[in-house]
Amino acid sequence: MIRFVLADLRRLWAGALVVCLLVALSTALGVAVTLQERALRLGSARAADKFDLVIGAAGSETQLVLSSVFLQPSPLPLLPGAVLAGLQTDPRVEWAAPVAFGDSFAGYPIVGTTTRLIAATTPGFAEGKMFTHEGEALVGADVALKTGDTVKPMHGTAAEGGHTHGELAYHVVGRLKATGTAWDRAILVPVQAVWHIHGLGEEHEDDHDRAQDGAAHEEHDDGHDDHDHHGHIDPDAPISEQFDAEDPGVPAILVKPKTIAAAYKLRQDYRNDRTLGVFPGEVLTKLYATLGDAKLVLSLVAAGAQVLVAGALLLVTVVHIGQRRKQIGALRAFGAPRLSVFLIVWLELFSLFLTGIGLGVGLGYGAARAISQAVKQGNGFDLPVEFLHQDAWQIGVMLMFAALLSALPAWLAYRQSPVAALRS
Amino acid sequence: MALTLDDVSVRYADMAKPVLTIASLDLPAGGRLAITGGSGSGKSTLVNVITGLERLRQGHVRWNGTDLAGLSEGARDRFRAAHIGLVMQDFHLFPGLSALDNILLPARLSRVATPDCVARAHGLMGRFGLERPQQPVETMSRGEMQRVAVARAVLRKPGVIIADEPTASLDVEAGAAVADLLLDLVETEGSTLVVVSHDARLVERLPRRIELKNGEIVHDTAGSHKPAGGDA
Repeated sequence: MIRFVLADLRRLWAGALVVCLLVALSTALGVAVTLQERALRLGSARAADKFDLVIGAAGSETQLVLSSVFLQPSPLPLLPGAVLAGLQTDPRVEWAAPVAFGDSFAGYPIVGTTTRLIAATTPGFAEGKMFTHEGEALVGADVALKTGDTVKPMHGTAAEGGHTHGELAYHVVGRLKATGTAWDRAILVPVQAVWHIHGLGEEHEDDHDRAQDGAAHEEHDDGHDDHDHHGHIDPDAPISEQFDAEDPGVPAILVKPKTIAAAYKLRQDYRNDRTLGVFPGEVLTKLYATLGDAKLVLSLVAAGAQVLVAGALLLVTVVHIGQRRKQIGALRAFGAPRLSVFLIVWLELFSLFLTGIGLGVGLGYGAARAISQAVKQGNGFDLPVEFLHQDAWQIGVMLMFAALLSALPAWLAYRQSPVAALRS
Repeated sequence: MALTLDDVSVRYADMAKPVLTIASLDLPAGGRLAITGGSGSGKSTLVNVITGLERLRQGHVRWNGTDLAGLSEGARDRFRAAHIGLVMQDFHLFPGLSALDNILLPARLSRVATPDCVARAHGLMGRFGLERPQQPVETMSRGEMQRVAVARAVLRKPGVIIADEPTASLDVEAGAAVADLLLDLVETEGSTLVVVSHDARLVERLPRRIELKNGEIVHDTAGSHKPAGGDA
């Protein structure tokens, strides 16, 4: 029987190939949507894992999380320096660290922060050591720089037409181990250096005035309002991570609360008309809800494509069975049991579905992996493509559906009168 | 196998008259019968009835006493597979399969393709002058194809061989070769042979001939049939 089916498929290879490809493509669409949506949820959840509480100036929650957790460049209003100072001395806070961004080098974002944040959110060093001076920088695992290289920061990004501080440079002193987050593509420098490079924080009086004037409303527009305030850094100056109210503003502060209760209290305290406290996980959950709708739409499109393909194949098969009535009638005339005829037709169609679904799962997985790889290269954070048990169930359901669908033309062949078939 | 038809009538819903009416017909085991008649005379219907392809609603068709009219469709399939070798004008070989696979296909589908059966298939091919068992059937001449079809029909040593226009699509030489094959086979294996044919050369080689017209036997060289509706 297998030999007969294989011979038939070989003979009709072009049609069989088209059927397989149609099934494979429609399956791949569904598989890729499912895997990629899950990868996005898993990847973003893992990226936000170390970010318990983020505090920024009043504005968009989503933008604050995208900019601080995923390092997406965006103009964010600055928090007054007093906020960071207050958090550092807050008894409910284990540690609080500034996250200052806006500059870049060779397409990599430069993030000003503290040694405490780096120690607490990364798995350690692949090589080199922590920065200890203003002119030193660390690179994430995916940054194509090595220890000893020079980093000349550019305001904003090259795409935005930013300009480079040609006279200022950091030296790479260490490379961090991979975290699987956007921070793997970041160049980390002391926040103090970011301030100084923009001419901030050197004159507390000036900064104090700025804060008093409402620094929270100042646009941190990637090019910074301080474009023209070119400062300088002293590469050998030691860094200080004790902040006070007169320090310049920062776009975001990452906070590690001591307890869960403290986290909620802090978030509540910092949700006012000047500041915004968010749990990145909570913001992502809201995003997932939106993504969930998108996934539903995409899944329905994929399912619709599968149903259309299944329907078209069924039609083709029924027509095909009609055209092969004589062959089926002859099989019966020569004594082939009806069940054998049923199995031949069923097996022939089901094997096409099976091959197509198998190919489609592979194609869908490959497509999801390719998308994840592209995102990883572009944004630095992992989108883990994983199969779960529920996927096996879904594939099982598809195979069951394919088996049932294949049974319809097989049933028609089973019911076919050999005399009528031979006479046709 | 001996054939007995009794009070057979085949009627289709959209036709006023029965397409086949045979009050009585007997053929002893090992007998050889030729059926002739014009187009629409009922020859194919008679073949369908005696092979069990057509379900009989009136009358009886008995092979060695087994009444096909009393068998279910599945049972008729099994009976046909075991006892009747069918040879048709159009060969009905399956492209993509070799000659040997075509010969073995019905036996394989019925799960009776034992090593003995395979050995017999090889033996039949040699006997029929088919030298290449693995040759794809679509590359064969029509005469070779019909020989493959005959080998397939007799693989399981059926008690009866029914050939429906076995030489009609062959040239004279190939037709004569196939006719020789059939007659040799029934001679050596003792099978009953029923041939439907327009081929006078083939028909004349069979000892008994009946002619059908409008679904009725109008001539029987044995003179033993009862006219439809008759009492004789």
